[in-house]
Amino acid sequence: MPRISEMTDVDFNGIENPYVPPKELRISPKLRLHKQWDENVDPVTYEVVRHNLWQINEEHGATIQRLSGSPVAMYALDLNPSILTEDAEFVYFGPYMQYMSGVTDTQVKWTMEFRSDNPGINEGDMFIANDPWVGAAHQQDVMLLCPVFWEGELFCWVTNCLHQYDIGGITPGSFCPSAESVYEEGIMLPPLKIIENYEIRRDIEAVYLRASRKPQLVALDFRAQVAGNTTARDRVLELIKRYGASTVKGVMKRVIDNSEKSYLEKMARLPDGEWHDRTYIEACRPGDRRTHRVVLGMRKEGTKLTFFNDGSAPQEGAMNATYSGWRGSIMVAINELLCWDQYFACGGALRHVEFDPTPGTLNCANFPASVSTAPIQSMEISLYPAYNVISKMIYPDAELRRDIMCIGGTSQWPATLFRGIDQWGERYGYLLVDPIGGAIGAFSMADGINTGGQARTPICQLPNIEHTEQSFPVLFLYRKELPDSGGAGQYRGGLSAESCFIPHNTDFITQDTLSSGNATPTSPGMMGGYPSTTNAYTFLRETNIFESIQQRTMPGDTSEISGREEVLQLRQENFQQHAADVYAVRWTGGGGFGDPFDRAPADIEKDLEDYAITPEAARSIYGAVLDTQGNVDIEATAAERARIRRSRLNGGAGKTRAGELVFQASPLLDARRDGQGNYWACGKCSADLGPLNDNYKHHCIREDNPVSSSNPLIGDPARYIDDAVSFRQFFCTGCGALIDNEIAVSSDGLLHDVVPALSMCE
Amino acid sequence: MSSYLCGLDIGGTFTDCVLMDENGQITIAKAPSTPSNFAEGVIEAISRAAAKIGKDLPQLLDAISVLAHGTTVGTNTIIQRRGAKVGLITTKGHNDVIHIMRGSRGLSGQDIKLIVHIPESSKPEPLIPKRLIRGVSERVDCFGKIVVDLNEDEARQAIIELRDAGCEALAICTLWSFLEPKHEKRIKELAQELAPELYVTCSSELAPKWGEYERTTAVALNAYIGPVTVGYVTRLDKQLKATGLKPPLQITQCAGGTITVRKAQEAPLLTLDSGPVAGVTGSVFLGTLMETPNIITTDLGGTSFDVGVIHNAAPIVTYKSLVHQYEYFLPKVDVHTLGTGGGSKVRVDKATRSLRVGPDSAGADPGPVCYGRGGTVPTTTDADLVLGYLDPDNYAGGTMKLDHAAAAAALQKLADEIGMDLYEFASGVATIAEFQMADLIRKMTVTKGLDPREFVVYAFGGAGPVHMGVAARELGVAKVIVPQGDTAAVWCAFGAASADILHVDEQVSIMSSPFELAKVNAMLENLHDKGRAHLTEDGVDASRHQFRFSIDMRHRGQINEVEVNLDSGVLDQAGLEQLRERFVARYEQLYGRGAALRGARLEMVTFRCRASATSLKPKLVAAKELTDVIAADAQTGTRDIYWAEWKKLAPTPIFNGYKLKPGNAIVGPCVVETTTTSMVVHPNQRIAVDALGNFLIDPNWV
Repeated sequence: MPRISEMTDVDFNGIENPYVPPKELRISPKLRLHKQWDENVDPVTYEVVRHNLWQINEEHGATIQRLSGSPVAMYALDLNPSILTEDAEFVYFGPYMQYMSGVTDTQVKWTMEFRSDNPGINEGDMFIANDPWVGAAHQQDVMLLCPVFWEGELFCWVTNCLHQYDIGGITPGSFCPSAESVYEEGIMLPPLKIIENYEIRRDIEAVYLRASRKPQLVALDFRAQVAGNTTARDRVLELIKRYGASTVKGVMKRVIDNSEKSYLEKMARLPDGEWHDRTYIEACRPGDRRTHRVVLGMRKEGTKLTFFNDGSAPQEGAMNATYSGWRGSIMVAINELLCWDQYFACGGALRHVEFDPTPGTLNCANFPASVSTAPIQSMEISLYPAYNVISKMIYPDAELRRDIMCIGGTSQWPATLFRGIDQWGERYGYLLVDPIGGAIGAFSMADGINTGGQARTPICQLPNIEHTEQSFPVLFLYRKELPDSGGAGQYRGGLSAESCFIPHNTDFITQDTLSSGNATPTSPGMMGGYPSTTNAYTFLRETNIFESIQQRTMPGDTSEISGREEVLQLRQENFQQHAADVYAVRWTGGGGFGDPFDRAPADIEKDLEDYAITPEAARSIYGAVLDTQGNVDIEATAAERARIRRSRLNGGAGKTRAGELVFQASPLLDARRDGQGNYWACGKCSADLGPLNDNYKHHCIREDNPVSSSNPLIGDPARYIDDAVSFRQFFCTGCGALIDNEIAVSSDGLLHDVVPALSMCE
Repeated sequence: MSSYLCGLDIGGTFTDCVLMDENGQITIAKAPSTPSNFAEGVIEAISRAAAKIGKDLPQLLDAISVLAHGTTVGTNTIIQRRGAKVGLITTKGHNDVIHIMRGSRGLSGQDIKLIVHIPESSKPEPLIPKRLIRGVSERVDCFGKIVVDLNEDEARQAIIELRDAGCEALAICTLWSFLEPKHEKRIKELAQELAPELYVTCSSELAPKWGEYERTTAVALNAYIGPVTVGYVTRLDKQLKATGLKPPLQITQCAGGTITVRKAQEAPLLTLDSGPVAGVTGSVFLGTLMETPNIITTDLGGTSFDVGVIHNAAPIVTYKSLVHQYEYFLPKVDVHTLGTGGGSKVRVDKATRSLRVGPDSAGADPGPVCYGRGGTVPTTTDADLVLGYLDPDNYAGGTMKLDHAAAAAALQKLADEIGMDLYEFASGVATIAEFQMADLIRKMTVTKGLDPREFVVYAFGGAGPVHMGVAARELGVAKVIVPQGDTAAVWCAFGAASADILHVDEQVSIMSSPFELAKVNAMLENLHDKGRAHLTEDGVDASRHQFRFSIDMRHRGQINEVEVNLDSGVLDQAGLEQLRERFVARYEQLYGRGAALRGARLEMVTFRCRASATSLKPKLVAAKELTDVIAADAQTGTRDIYWAEWKKLAPTPIFNGYKLKPGNAIVGPCVVETTTTSMVVHPNQRIAVDALGNFLIDPNWV
């Protein structure tokens, strides 16, 4: 299947095919753009105006937060405000839901191209938009675009995006796990003028609200979005009045230019090459037991980055994302790993980034594929490989290395969609927000953060149990962090948690599951780090919970409850949870970083004390030897680790090769050079691991184990999928140290994760 | 014999004591703080004040009618992480509440750099490690109904285990205890029986609010600072009594008033951050005297900039606070802090030709380059010195010499990097800092539906009056007031002396419209009774009792609540209907016209009663005569000062603040100096001395 760049005869106009903005926008002459700016704003004015622009965007976000009603939007902070220049380059993008970044500029550009002539873009207008082919993540993410005019010219855009509680479709909440196309999903609006000359168009608002099961909430949220844009627009105008239009525009352009400079400076320090990663989605529709491959490639040539998804599975069922969703996922990683120092002002970096996916794949789906689940499946699964490839690209630079982050928790969202009649006698439908508590993956020099939220929404907060119990007819038996749920490594991934509840003050609850990453870990860790737990549903029917209640001895875990276990499939629909049925959901944790055998004994001891790992894991994964009190015996541990590493060599000994360092690819993998050429070498013992133009994995000792051996909480994949899954480990031939791991469907070949540019290999 | 109001502020270095007699005569004394036993420093400061008015300590103590004191013991305990070893007992299955921290890093509204750069951030060290947390079988549901009875055997075992593990304090918080506190109370009883030596605190007594994370954090913090604070307060109280002090010691609390020693022992958390809050309380009092009911209080010190807001003579409060990334429930005067102070570091980026100020600070040590203590990164204070705002030979009353040359050299180096002139650069640093301050003030007013143009700014702290004129001009504020003479420097102590006794009681009961009048009134009455009991226990005569009621309401299904004030503690049907109107009005004041969805169902969430008793108020003496004649010796000389408005250095008159008299007024540019601060009056601004001796800067005189 061809990539977008190879399809020269296709019009990527956001209708049949995704909208891919052309280099030059085709804008009607009716719309005049403000194009004058001061190139030489003095540093003080620059800093003051820059700070103001940041504050305006922050106030914009705060306004929406205060006014929005929907709990999903508010706890998950599923929103984001932004400021863009007149030609839709990002000036600022808020620290909320990062996915929305990739879908904002495309919608503005489309609106300028296709709405500037008819019905026209004028002062006092705002456009509502949620068409995923134009540029929404999924239909629930409704954008409101507000042009800001100064003296008759389009000066800039302020926009926001807010996840809506329900905008129609076959499933309440509008995540539709069994949809086969967009026709079964919520309302879809290509950019539409809903505010004209400062007035809400009531007719259009009515069309929008009509599709929703909760029109009142959607109406409140719409007002929040309008208020947010109005606040931001007014403040930008105040700023223009105070400093002059050419000064404010000059600052906007320089914010972008500065972010570009910072990006270019980073790129100049890094070797060229290609980096690849691979992961899987499970179950694209009810009854499906296959895995669907997701591949991400990134090529760096000088300062240019190109992303592609060659080898990803075709679009199918209800697991897909569109071009803009995929692009949004990658931009999260670009923002967080490369543009954090510019406070996510990624406009400058984007000037050098090309997105070149293959249409028709699951994360670049063609119309009319079902895409309502995109942010919790296809986009989430596209995001984390992006962390990996960028992290591997920046590792060679000692300073940038500090910005590396492993895959965090909830790398696929195990959804709990439930509905029924609540304790107040009213109808309800909800997506349990708890997995937003996630975990942060390990860093290259520190442990991840236990239940530290989601990296892609840096300031989300999960609801208190008392909040959830007030609104829905459930009684939580527990919500707790789980030992071993974080991936092992020299630096451990953050722990994730599990929530467990029974129905309360209702007859029963009707549920759907919607998940992936239950068989195949989706937080695999990096550079020798191990995966976190998988997602898991535990469902016990007709339990003894009421006896426990009677006897005042409550369980602390599902293992302490007896009942009939039912293995819930990953898209199981309309099953009922009755009074004595116990339901629990666990989400993925953070991946680990580096060889667990390099973890300091003191850290292992602290982990044991804090219930972060179990003694079994300390022994089997970290190679620790515990004394009778459970403390780590330092000397015995060193000896045990050495013994295990030696045993991997099986009597053989790789030959070492002295050479000078070209770059360090990972903690234990060097690219080196000597008289005979460039080659891979073990960073610990200097063993030769093959020529640089070959996959070092072919030159390591390989060991394949069942995926369940990689984390004590990962069970048998056969419960959900038909493919076998392997945990492949690659050890140094010289010293037996762990160079890297990979998780793969057993029939898939080796992943060639680091491919230095040819120039490096000569 | 005259009687005295006495206010105390115990800081990290000094203990301040302010005395005021019935005529409004103020006496100030300072003594070094004595961290090993703060009472010694207090007694020393009071003794020094006594000496100043020609009395000995017992004589003065005998004459003091109100003794109020703000303490930072709790705050310091948390900063230094020297709190008690705390155990927590909670509902089984929910042990991890304060570790999960609502799945966040607790950084909302905090330093943006930590938010965007995740590898730099982390959760704070847990207040209570997991191994000291025990869950016991029990459960209450959202209706306040007991679903699982308390398993007392488990509770006993938990208490014994925690006691044996060496815990010094015990926090108790179970789910929904704010609706049904029976289990918490029983666990507390068992603890008192099995481990009477433990400091015990339970959430239904301290913070009966909806949300287990913030409630558990509140009790955990309370337990953490409990033993230390109780020891301190008890010791101080005892020692003061032994020296002859008659009135009960009052302690300032974070909600804005004072509490008794007994209450401080029970809820030491109330004293957290009460220092900066006392400054706001003092401002309320001064504002009443000066007929300025809307005040933005600012305190700009070496490392931070604190802002509070007073609207209609009442401080703006918050019901959820943050300390070290931990969020907790407690009514508190809302004081926001920005890491911009005199010590904010200046940096440039050559490549992008940009200039940044803060948010990190050089602190007091090494401090600004001009301190000569080894600081190499220039700061706002260095810029102030180079611009001429500060006198290198007369800083802090002449107690410290500033190195002008070093400051200039450090700034020049950065200015060169981005091709700017030294003065232009230094003035840019000041401007950026001033705009950052204006932004924070904006955030605390405009985004809360308040218009800064209807406010005056009070400028406290050594660096405040240097910069507040420009920040105020930016905001459109009518007036900057630098409180009178030396009192400005001991403002917190003054605030303590003028505070009312205050108890804030809250109770959550979630009710949906249509509301039942009887239920609403029952809630209010219960709170009224509680408040009355507190004041009676404090020994306050019923004639001085004052009660104010409010209810937090929201649109049903929404998360955000809005506080709606009531006229009395008993509603009639008409009053109930009026509530909806008030809710809509308040909501739209906060969020803009048309924001509320009329006709939507409403919910009541939190009911609240503020029980207070007005304390004796300090009186200030207004000058009988105002004069526009400036004494000949008031001007101490001229100094070259760089004015951004003129883009040049200009010889500028310098005045000795102590020589200016009520009625005097000077049009800028000029600088008025006192031992604690420099008031920088820009061109087109004016400074005047009012009848109380306060300095008023008019930011837009011409």
